[in-house]
Amino acid sequence: MTATHCPYCALQCAMTLGPADAEARRVRAPVAVTGREFPTNRGGLCQKGWTSAQVLGATDRLTTPLVRGADGELHPATWDDALDLVAGRLTEIQERHGRDAVAVFGGGGLTNEKAYALGKFARVVLRTPFIDYNGRFCMASAAAAANRSLGVDRGLPFPLADLGGAQAVLLLGSNLAETMPPSTQHLAGARAAGGLVVVDPRHSPTAALADDGAGLHLQAVPGTDLAVLLALLHVVWAEGLVDADYLAARTTGADDVRRSVAAWWPERAERVTGVPADDLRRAARVLAAAAPVNGGAGAVVLTGRGAEQSTQGTATVTAAINLALSLGLPGRPSSGYGAITGQGNGQGGREHGQKADQLPGYRKIDDPAARAHVAAVWGVDPDDLPGPGVAAVELVRRCGTPGGPRALLVHGCNLVVSAPDNQAVRERLQALDLLVVCDFLPSETALLADVVLPVTQWAEEEGTMTSLEGRVIRRRRALAPPPGVRSELDVLHDLAARLGVTSGFPTDPAEVFDELARASSGGIADYGGLSHARLDAAEAAGQALHWPVPAARDGAEHPGTPRLFADGFPRPDGRALMVPVDHRGPSDRLHPDQPLYLVTGRVLQHYQSGAQTRRVPALAAAQPEPYVELHPLLADRLGIADGEPVEVTSARGTAVAVAHVTPGARPDTVFMPFHWSGEGSANRLTTDATDPISGMPEFKVAAVRVRAHVPERAEVGA
Amino acid sequence: MRPARVVVVGHGMVGARFVEELVERVAGTPAGARAVEVTVLGAEEYEPYNRVLLSEVVAGKVDVASLTLPRRDVAGVRVLPGVAAYAVDRERRVVLADDGSSHAYDHLVLATGARARVPALAGLAPGGPLPAGVHALRTLDDAREIVAATVNARRAVVLGGGVLGLEAACGLARRGLRVTVVHGGPHAMDRQLDADAGHVVGRGLTALGVDVRADAAAEGVVLDGGRAGGLRLGDADDGVVPAELVVLTAGTEPETALARAAGLAVGRGVLVDRTCTTADPRVHAIGDCAEPPEGGTGLVAQGWDQARRLATRLAAELTERGAAPGGGTGAIPGAGRAPDEPPDATGTDDVVRLKAHGLDVVAMGVCGSRRDVGRPVRSVRLSDPDGGRHVEVVVADGVLVGATCVGDARVAADLTAAYTRRTPVPADPAQLLLRRVAGAASAAAEPSPTLMPDRATVCRCNGVTKGDIVACFEHGAREVEDVARATRATTGCGGCTEAVCGIVDWLRRSTPAGADASADAVGTGSRDGEIALDVQNRTGGVQSAV
Repeated sequence: MTATHCPYCALQCAMTLGPADAEARRVRAPVAVTGREFPTNRGGLCQKGWTSAQVLGATDRLTTPLVRGADGELHPATWDDALDLVAGRLTEIQERHGRDAVAVFGGGGLTNEKAYALGKFARVVLRTPFIDYNGRFCMASAAAAANRSLGVDRGLPFPLADLGGAQAVLLLGSNLAETMPPSTQHLAGARAAGGLVVVDPRHSPTAALADDGAGLHLQAVPGTDLAVLLALLHVVWAEGLVDADYLAARTTGADDVRRSVAAWWPERAERVTGVPADDLRRAARVLAAAAPVNGGAGAVVLTGRGAEQSTQGTATVTAAINLALSLGLPGRPSSGYGAITGQGNGQGGREHGQKADQLPGYRKIDDPAARAHVAAVWGVDPDDLPGPGVAAVELVRRCGTPGGPRALLVHGCNLVVSAPDNQAVRERLQALDLLVVCDFLPSETALLADVVLPVTQWAEEEGTMTSLEGRVIRRRRALAPPPGVRSELDVLHDLAARLGVTSGFPTDPAEVFDELARASSGGIADYGGLSHARLDAAEAAGQALHWPVPAARDGAEHPGTPRLFADGFPRPDGRALMVPVDHRGPSDRLHPDQPLYLVTGRVLQHYQSGAQTRRVPALAAAQPEPYVELHPLLADRLGIADGEPVEVTSARGTAVAVAHVTPGARPDTVFMPFHWSGEGSANRLTTDATDPISGMPEFKVAAVRVRAHVPERAEVGA
Repeated sequence: MRPARVVVVGHGMVGARFVEELVERVAGTPAGARAVEVTVLGAEEYEPYNRVLLSEVVAGKVDVASLTLPRRDVAGVRVLPGVAAYAVDRERRVVLADDGSSHAYDHLVLATGARARVPALAGLAPGGPLPAGVHALRTLDDAREIVAATVNARRAVVLGGGVLGLEAACGLARRGLRVTVVHGGPHAMDRQLDADAGHVVGRGLTALGVDVRADAAAEGVVLDGGRAGGLRLGDADDGVVPAELVVLTAGTEPETALARAAGLAVGRGVLVDRTCTTADPRVHAIGDCAEPPEGGTGLVAQGWDQARRLATRLAAELTERGAAPGGGTGAIPGAGRAPDEPPDATGTDDVVRLKAHGLDVVAMGVCGSRRDVGRPVRSVRLSDPDGGRHVEVVVADGVLVGATCVGDARVAADLTAAYTRRTPVPADPAQLLLRRVAGAASAAAEPSPTLMPDRATVCRCNGVTKGDIVACFEHGAREVEDVARATRATTGCGGCTEAVCGIVDWLRRSTPAGADASADAVGTGSRDGEIALDVQNRTGGVQSAV
């Protein structure tokens, strides 16, 4: 029996993998999955977790390297041939076009060890500044805002279970009832107190948790979360509900924020957000009453991708933090601000060097001290480390353009489905001289590659992940990978050797982690006191280790940091910085040709681009195809019946998917999940306009036209 | 090259917003923030504040400190509070101020606002100070004085039953005063509401303890030892409305003296074209002091829109290449609309919404007596005076062009969103009159195991329907744990545990004791009168389940 965690989202539900039983064999799963007691999932798993072992036995699992031949098709190749080819082409491209002609694209699903090794590989072996990752699509705005205001970006700066003690929880743009269902157990306390406030343009399953007196659903117009927050801030200031002592002692800039919201009275916000002014007031009062200063048991403000995947995502999260600070929440019991991390290792993946501007330990790559520390661990000259690169969307935009990257290595990401404006992304990838994809399944992106390298899946490898609450947890191997499959640590080791770097890329995850610990030591995300052995021992003893965990001092181990901010904020003056922000609205604007909003999101049964979950029959049966959710009044106006094909067109392109008519939508908004490729791919429609600070694209709002789809008739005789 | 000089006269909501927008746009251009130098002359000593909320101050609902608007302490902006402009020399392009200073400009922006109109009434000296107990409601001082006066006053009369008058009246009633609104028109808010809607509003006011005297001609303020004692009405029958506090909310008059003296054309306000520019291309007017071709609405939204448009235009003109365009593929989104977007002169800024506790009134576009839009419209209304509700929608070319909504805040919010964004309206506009039915996304919303259809999802986390649980039961599962093991219902978030227990209980209740636990189901019949189930036991005998 192997105690590990689910392969999918950042909740990282604990599970046990055992020998395949009859049921497992029936569904072609090599191991049997059961839920395991853990503070986050409390033994629960959603359907994705229960069925996760089936991906291990996927019939089209990649088990041999593939190389595109002269015939334009992918053909099996030996590892040596494939790696020689990749190394040779990389060398050739860098010799001809310079080091910067090679770029790396990582993923938030990679273990800490792989993410760390990938960042090191880019800086030390390839010596390119151009590395970024798909976390730029999900966590960058929350990260930018938290770093600026609070001095640190740890998704939840407190254990998830602390939510249970909160009297009120404000959820902005998160559908966690579908994206991480077992987490909703921790909302029971707030719901019992009538304190769950959900801001979402859809009456999502999460919004439904606020029904029947459990709280409030604010069904805001897409792209207006920031205006909702500004109105809530206005109310707590105007009605004297703020924690003045906390603001005076622990923050700077409160007066600027107070002034900045003077013009956001609820009736004005109602016009912008579509949320009745009195609902905004009520929501603000529910939160304020739960704040410790007003005698409440605690209040938590949480943001998700709905609020963050926006050209004003950083500003929106900043406003959420301002609200939490105004009520004196961060650092108080059962209170605070948090971002709900999305991908499995979305937290750890953003700490150890996959980001364009970052070195391990959440260090800044343009900080000379950080460069010196990391270079010393890596045994290289700090001056040889490249500087900051560019964020993901810009990186992809440059691929195959004059002066841009001519080779791209992709790890743990299905870009042509998950990136915004993905038809343009496909063109960019096709314009490359060399595309190398490491994957365990023939994803849409792998199928575009010149070389595909088959790698291990979660149950076949050791490593660590850092969950949404900043807890470092162990991923453990339950079975051997199929013959022909190698770990990405092996791939990086072998490529490094072929490119002339024969040391520094160990293949043992525990050894990689020890180096990561040293590299991160003294940084913001300090793993200095951790090792696989310590994590195993702590788990066995029922102890959780949340970073920062600095190295042991005088023989005394650091106990980890479950809760941040109790005594101050890791900023130069120890105070949180309140930054005034204003609402400008989404980059796409409605006009007569595109008079409706499109919002994109997820369904319970699928994870990210769907490359894994679409291969699980039970999940595919439950959610077999892309769809467009629309309100009955809109469907009626457009003459569209439930189940009929619908054509959705934005300035980027057109998608076709079946109509799901449901009163949960706003009549001015349609919703599409983005888990599919092909003509129903939602990201054909999304814009690649990005947040000016975080570089995060605006997945969540697009202006679209919607109409019934009339398939082109085949020409007679054709 | 010396920076372009922009002088702004007036530091209220619109003047301050203009400065903010201009600074932001100029900073975003290649020329950078130093390309423009802004001087702001503000006659009031106060920092700019949110005038819209003064009635909320009267109502005691907001903290006065929360009205203060952002300061612009940035390079290139000089704010001179308490310095009033008294003349403009357009020949020399200089503004002269009352402190003896003079300010040269390349562009002059008048944002002098409006002042409260003091009606010609006996007891009020024209142009002179108001007697004790008589107050306008235009400035922060006015609001503070009214609040102070409520301490000793028991009765108040509000002269003018427009939006501000009603807000003040409701606010004073909230403070426990007996309030009478004296209004010259046929009913309250007659600029926005027709008679039927006005009637519903009148009933709402009565319910809040506010008495309305419509079609009333105020004749004079009754003074009692120099203090207000009431308001005398022209109609002999009405006589005097006694009140210790008289609030004047009889409209506003644009502050145009400076423009007039400078020889600029003035109608009701300073006459400007669609770009907010006077006949002098270097002089502009925005906000309440201006009179654009479509007319001034007196709403701050219009002034802010003008501020944004003028700032965009001047930023582009005064810097080399102009403001970066907003939106578009890959572009960092600019602030607000792109400069080339046409000015918003089509009327979506004219949403009027009453801010009064317990009385929801919203009117927009085609409403009240404003009916002529020059194209065919369709109007549908819901009249529910006894329910305190009146909703009217006006639709043209598939979009909402006007609406009136009394007594339903939720419908009002939806109408406002549809009106301001011109989103498609339902095929039958009557659908707009009622609150949308909310979606039932959770199994918890299902009524009972009996009425729940088989296809209803019970466990969302694991996609388990009621039918799956019934089938599982029929395959022998008798306890919730058995069902959980087989279907994984309840093993995600646990939120459906109660529902699954309910279904299993109901299945057990409706299965006869004789039926073998391992019976195979062969079909469904009627159970509890709804779903039927026949159970065939191991020996082949068939029993009715009910």
